[in-house]
Amino acid sequence: MKYMIMTFGSAEAGLAAMGKEWMVEMIKFMTTLDEDLKKSAEFVSAEGLADGSQAKTVRFVNGISVATDGPFAESKESLVGYWIVDVESEARAIEIASRIVDYVKQPIEVRRVMDAPPEF
Amino acid sequence: MEPRIEDQLRDLAPQVLGALVRRHGQFDACEDAVQEALLAAAQQWPDNGVPDNPQSWLMTVAWRRLVDTWRAEGARRRREETAIALELPIQSQDLDRDDTLALLFMCCHPSLSAPSQLALTLRAVGGLTTAEIARAFLVPEATMAQRISRAKERIRSTGIHFDLPPPSERADRLRVVMHVLYLVFNEGYATSSGPAFQRADLTIEAIRLTRMLHQLMPADGEVAGLLALMLLTDARRAARSTADGDLVPLAEQRRDLWNKTQIEEGVALLTRTLGTVPVGPYQMQAAIAAVHDEAPSHEETDWPQILALYEVLERVSPGPVVTLNRAVAVAMVHGPRAGLALLGTLDADERMEQTHRLEAVRAHLLELAGDLAAARESYLRAAKKTHSLPEQRHLALRAARLS
Repeated sequence: MKYMIMTFGSAEAGLAAMGKEWMVEMIKFMTTLDEDLKKSAEFVSAEGLADGSQAKTVRFVNGISVATDGPFAESKESLVGYWIVDVESEARAIEIASRIVDYVKQPIEVRRVMDAPPEF
Repeated sequence: MEPRIEDQLRDLAPQVLGALVRRHGQFDACEDAVQEALLAAAQQWPDNGVPDNPQSWLMTVAWRRLVDTWRAEGARRRREETAIALELPIQSQDLDRDDTLALLFMCCHPSLSAPSQLALTLRAVGGLTTAEIARAFLVPEATMAQRISRAKERIRSTGIHFDLPPPSERADRLRVVMHVLYLVFNEGYATSSGPAFQRADLTIEAIRLTRMLHQLMPADGEVAGLLALMLLTDARRAARSTADGDLVPLAEQRRDLWNKTQIEEGVALLTRTLGTVPVGPYQMQAAIAAVHDEAPSHEETDWPQILALYEVLERVSPGPVVTLNRAVAVAMVHGPRAGLALLGTLDADERMEQTHRLEAVRAHLLELAGDLAAARESYLRAAKKTHSLPEQRHLALRAARLS
């Protein structure tokens, strides 16, 4: 079963608040995590997204679609990146997410991908 | 490649691999060697023609490849290699039906995780390539290759023997093998159109492997039952979804689209089996599928017979999912309110918390009872809980129809 593991936040604030060493360690952590997921044969895909300040949101306004600057969510938090993993159970997906949370100390969302076969 | 050559290669794959492993041990190296021999055959046979003795051809090529691997491993193994090189390659008379069976038991060993069991069975016993398996499960090829490699590593490190399990363990181990084949079938039993198309191939592969297992163990009633269940369920595939990929429930399926040959085969198999062996859950599920398949219309279905079969199934293999299905039969025989009352007994069952099926069945029975507002709520709750996209669309459509 596949799960999407999503991280939220503002990369800009992260860069400003954290020092160089923290950033270097973080990159190392992420690289190791990807390697481990490949070794455990659970890796499907992973991407990091450009900073939320560069996002465009397209909305339906007065009968037409209009693009505006900024992320969809009004809050400062937006999607920073994700992993898709193919694991044996939800518990294992949560275990992977917990490893990230222990490191980044930020909440992570774990959500099932709709890949199950229909049951009737 | 001609489909016939491909089929022939897949049938030969486990026999050749089984014979090699029995002779030389080292499942890991033998499995790689056989895959390469299969690849060579797939490239050469269409142009050069199928050799007179295809098994010998495959075994000779796989055996040479094995010797090459050992040679490459260096002096450490030189002495063994010399000993091996003196031996003649395995001849086709070495083929043994029990080798294929031992291979299946090995790939479905309980110490492997379920995803590993599925992947390894499809490759080592099914003769599928890693790329084909990766495509069917929608994961990158590198991930599937790693999964297969880890499974082989686990077989090596835990010292799993290439042998038939002792009689005392045989029944339990066979149950695991059948469950793996059932999971492969179920993975593929998705819609037959759209992006899920390649997963449908898994259904065909599961039937082929179960047919092989049935030929190896013709006296086992549950293996026969599993094969019959797969044939009788898959027979409805063409009617099960529309061209747009929308699911069509059993009651609304066009029965003229059902595969009659497959239904006849499934029914004949079941008829030969039932009553000659102890009854088991796969046989009972197949018997229920047969009653559905033989009904000329939904209205003419022999519901009292289905209810009686569910009562037997509940005795041999009790569980909430069986009760859930029995509730539908109860509703058809004694009315929707009686079915709903039985469903009520499952509300406190923790095992039902993770599945949407309780709410989906309740919605259907509430709709039959004419309580459309409550039915709509149940359809929506079920739609939120399911992990299948086509099923979610179907349940949401049912809810929308009632509003």
